[in-house]
Amino acid sequence: MREQRRKDAVWRFLTYAFVITMVVVMMVPLYWMLVAATLPQEQFLQFPPRLIPGTAFLDNFAALQERLDFVRTIRNSVLIAVVYTLLSLVLCSMAGFAFAKYEFKFKEPIFYAILATLVLPIQLLVIPLFLLMAQLDWTNTFRAIILPWAANPIGIFLMRQNMKSIPDALLESARMDGATEFQIFYRIALPTMRSSLAALAIILFLFQWDLFLYPLVILETADMYTIPIGLAQLTGFQRIYYDQIMVAATLAIVPMVVLFLVLQKQFVSGILAGSLKE
Amino acid sequence: MATSDETDDRIGQAYRRRVRTTVRTAARKFRRAARPLWDRFRFARQDLTAATPTLPRVAYIFIAPFFLLFSVFLAFPVFYTLYLSFFEYQGVGQGSLFWVDLGPVYLEIPKIARLDFVGLGNYARLLGNDLFWQSMFNTSYILVIQVPLMIGLALALALALNASFLRLKGVFRTAIALPVSANLVAYSTVFLLLFNEQLGFLNYVLAGVGLGPVPWLTDGFWARNTIIAAVTWRWTGYNMIILLAGLQTIPQQLYEAAEIDGANRWEKFRYVTLPQLKPVFLFVVVLSTIGTFKLFAEPYVITGGGPTNSTITIVQYIYRQAFVNFNLGYASALTVVFVAVVSAFSVAQIKIGGED
Repeated sequence: MREQRRKDAVWRFLTYAFVITMVVVMMVPLYWMLVAATLPQEQFLQFPPRLIPGTAFLDNFAALQERLDFVRTIRNSVLIAVVYTLLSLVLCSMAGFAFAKYEFKFKEPIFYAILATLVLPIQLLVIPLFLLMAQLDWTNTFRAIILPWAANPIGIFLMRQNMKSIPDALLESARMDGATEFQIFYRIALPTMRSSLAALAIILFLFQWDLFLYPLVILETADMYTIPIGLAQLTGFQRIYYDQIMVAATLAIVPMVVLFLVLQKQFVSGILAGSLKE
Repeated sequence: MATSDETDDRIGQAYRRRVRTTVRTAARKFRRAARPLWDRFRFARQDLTAATPTLPRVAYIFIAPFFLLFSVFLAFPVFYTLYLSFFEYQGVGQGSLFWVDLGPVYLEIPKIARLDFVGLGNYARLLGNDLFWQSMFNTSYILVIQVPLMIGLALALALALNASFLRLKGVFRTAIALPVSANLVAYSTVFLLLFNEQLGFLNYVLAGVGLGPVPWLTDGFWARNTIIAAVTWRWTGYNMIILLAGLQTIPQQLYEAAEIDGANRWEKFRYVTLPQLKPVFLFVVVLSTIGTFKLFAEPYVITGGGPTNSTITIVQYIYRQAFVNFNLGYASALTVVFVAVVSAFSVAQIKIGGED
């Protein structure tokens, strides 16, 4: 009995040690980023490195802003991600509603055609989309970044799955009361989907926020850059200013970390839904 | 004190009442003035509603916007990549491929590109190309080390966070899942600095225990491991969340039954947890495998594919061929091969996901 209790204590200690080690491992890069962003370049280049944050964040930010208008870069990223998320939510919920609640010709083949593209990696589309955008004269525009991904197969799939659970009787009684089909959709179906819409919004926002390869190909001038493209450009310069890059990285990461902390429940359900696990 | 507060309150109430009355009167006046206009709007809307198609056809209106974008930007490009892979790209297209002249309406679809047919030439070329095989090798190497490492860590963390004795579960879970919110390029730049040979925090810590500077970014072997470390940092928490959700669906009675049968910790894990978790576990493995195949931002930022191409991934090789060398036909053939490999894994994913 005592033997067992000793074993349990050791096990508990090991579990705590492991979890705490992993927490430290996860935190070190973020902490290091914050330190580097707040130190002047000379102090940062010292050896041994300083591990306590300094006060030069705003100076570093001003230097960064001089080389690349990063405020504009952030604005571009937010604008693109927000417009994309709203547009895609509208398209996906409308189409998902139709696939869940109506019967029409070619319903199954169309749905399976859309579903089939789920297995395709988005990298497949970059070359033809680049040629298409060049032909449409849409290179270096935001619409070229937003529109191609608005018809999101994951979105329509999730919306259809969730909207199937809306009772038909509810829709039918609204129909009896003289509601039009569109009213049924946005007055009755949509409000019941609030939590699924929130999870989908997070999936869509993060998808667009992290998109890198495609904007790298489409966006050409610095005033159009999104955060990933701007950051990649900063590391590509002849001389790398780590302090400025870390300021930019901080500005890219910290707001999302805060968002994650605030909306953790929605993030988690977004991750679980996005991984296609029902 | 109390009386003065009361007086203030009374004055405040009277004031608010007056404001409310004024606003209401103004609103009533406005509504009366706007009624004819409002009625016209309502009638117009009713007309519009009457004109909108009823049940059988309304579904097409619901799916039309989605389907239009889907066809142009998703379905068409898929087939066009396949088509392009049999050609050599010569330049941007001129002239029209197809046009309809209906008098007032003139529709034209321009040629997308000037192309030379090369048959299976692009595929023959990639099979004989050293860099293609190098990128396949790099991706496989990262895959074989990174996926088991990450899933092992994620599973261990999920088990630990699911243990009944652990306190502060929420805090630990949040901290470990935090990297999920980090932008891919942003976190890659952080790792670029963290693993810097002279300035990096990692070599500083290693020096502290008497190990000495590791060429994380300048040696091929170490550079691959740097990529592995970065990807593991970013995605362990993600996988932990999925595995933890899987663990929480295992009925508690199974563990109780095992305990009654005298099962120890390992036996409970081996005979209850693992079989119950199997679908989720396989799913996470496949998901991570696909993710590793698609690796691009990390090697692009951290190593640039170097040193001497020892970390170039398949997607990065495609990017270089397509948008640095403008071999779009060849790059399309590479893409088709890449997609064939990834799709095979994705189909497995959906099969596994659909089993339960």
